[in-house]
Amino acid sequence: MLKDITLGQFFPGNSLLHRTDPRFKILILLAFLVGVIAAKSVYSFALILTVTVLLTALSRLSPKTVLKNLKPLIFILIFTGILNVFLYKGDNILVDWHFIHIYREGLIYAAFMMLRLACLVTGSFVVLTYTTSPLDISDALESLLKPLKLIRLPVHEFAMMMTIALRFIPTLVEETDKIMSAQKARGADMESGGLRKRIAALVPILVPLFVSSFRRADELAEAMECRCYHGGEGRTKMKQMKSRFADWAFFAVMLIICVSVFFINRFGVRI
Amino acid sequence: MSYIEVKDLVFAYDEGEKVFDGFNLAIEKGTYTAVLGRNGSGKSTLAKLLCGILQPVSGSVCVGGLSTADEEQLYKLRRSCGMIFQNPDNQIVASVVEEDVAFAPENLGVPSAEIRKIVDEALSLVGMTEYAKHSTYKLSGGQKQRVAIAGVLAMRPQCIIFDEATAMLDPSGRRDITATMKRLNKENGITVINITHYMNEAAEADRIVALDGGKILLDGTPEEVFSEGETLRRAKLATPQITELCDALRECGMPLKKGILHTMQAADAIENYVKGL
Repeated sequence: MLKDITLGQFFPGNSLLHRTDPRFKILILLAFLVGVIAAKSVYSFALILTVTVLLTALSRLSPKTVLKNLKPLIFILIFTGILNVFLYKGDNILVDWHFIHIYREGLIYAAFMMLRLACLVTGSFVVLTYTTSPLDISDALESLLKPLKLIRLPVHEFAMMMTIALRFIPTLVEETDKIMSAQKARGADMESGGLRKRIAALVPILVPLFVSSFRRADELAEAMECRCYHGGEGRTKMKQMKSRFADWAFFAVMLIICVSVFFINRFGVRI
Repeated sequence: MSYIEVKDLVFAYDEGEKVFDGFNLAIEKGTYTAVLGRNGSGKSTLAKLLCGILQPVSGSVCVGGLSTADEEQLYKLRRSCGMIFQNPDNQIVASVVEEDVAFAPENLGVPSAEIRKIVDEALSLVGMTEYAKHSTYKLSGGQKQRVAIAGVLAMRPQCIIFDEATAMLDPSGRRDITATMKRLNKENGITVINITHYMNEAAEADRIVALDGGKILLDGTPEEVFSEGETLRRAKLATPQITELCDALRECGMPLKKGILHTMQAADAIENYVKGL
């Protein structure tokens, strides 16, 4: 039952987005996110929406998969919408009943807010998590954050931790499953009772899980030492990230879009 | 000088009883040695001492002419003497097979293009080439252990220590790994030390060192060691089943020779006896 948990679903493929250097993808995503958040007029929203659709098309993922993965977000989207409808104050009042005031501007604002969130999430998924393997993301982060080494931030260690965490997620999920079965076999009841009782029932699962995780960490450290691991110094990579002209061009296009959002904001109906 | 030389080794875990007290062992280059012993006999501790994870209290451990006490040379030593651990899950670092195999050469600072070559070579040595892009998590125990072996081979070691590397595998995985050990030893000239408590596995080696309470109980070829059934049993060790059967038959008066290790050997010996009746 715990087997379905995946973190950052990656769909292997060979689209333009798949082939883009992961370091550039992070930069492109940042530019895109700035654009999405900055969009304030109808026209700039139209631009952002077009870019989101284009990015999805570039990833060659079926729109169905992308929409399906938006499903868990519906609750947040609706919640944001409702909050904005009730809390926004404008000039043209539509409903005025006791403590509920709904303005026309509120409705429009809520709609755009939901659209913005949807673009934000779709964009990040399509550019990064769906089209980049987790390992590439952590490698790219390590490479991008390299300058921070100057102020003694442990960038390599951070990336190594991420790699190992990703590697051990399925192992630990499997182990949790095993411990749960073992405790059930001894008569542990995990499915009934109130919230407090259920949380209490988690203790006999978490304690052995922690103990075994520490033992695993110990053994892994020994195995890493035996394979000559000694931190990031003097380390090379099998796969070197090489930026091509296309990566720079892609990034430049996204930067131009981001800047034009600020420019277009001046025209059209402001939201 | 032998490839591995342990001299007057004294070792104890913090404040614990001494595991080794004046232990000596020499292992020649290119040999296939099995180390036998029941739990607590010091066999895993010996493995960790050999690759410098643990340091002796006194005495010396030298591998390929390098002392484990010499911190400057420690990576050089570990590079020449790799180790495979018991739990395949706890020694795989990366989520993709080839990335994991590349881990050691990356640590050693080998140039990228060469790592690629080394990784492909190591994977083909253990017969895992077709799994290069697979996720490590979905492999079977035996396959994971083969990836771990490839990860060590990528350091181009002279010696590999297997610390109960087959203990958590199913019989087919165990056969797989035992065959790989033998092949690496015979075809690639890698010194293999297999620490195990499976007698059948030990019988495959050229030499067996049986440990008991931090001392060498028996040392010799499998035939010699398993001929000492009585001594082994006293140390709570067993002989392979077939050897045990032959011992039992001998006690009943059947004149079989000592140190029979394989089923076919036993069948021949019994056939000869029956024909002679």
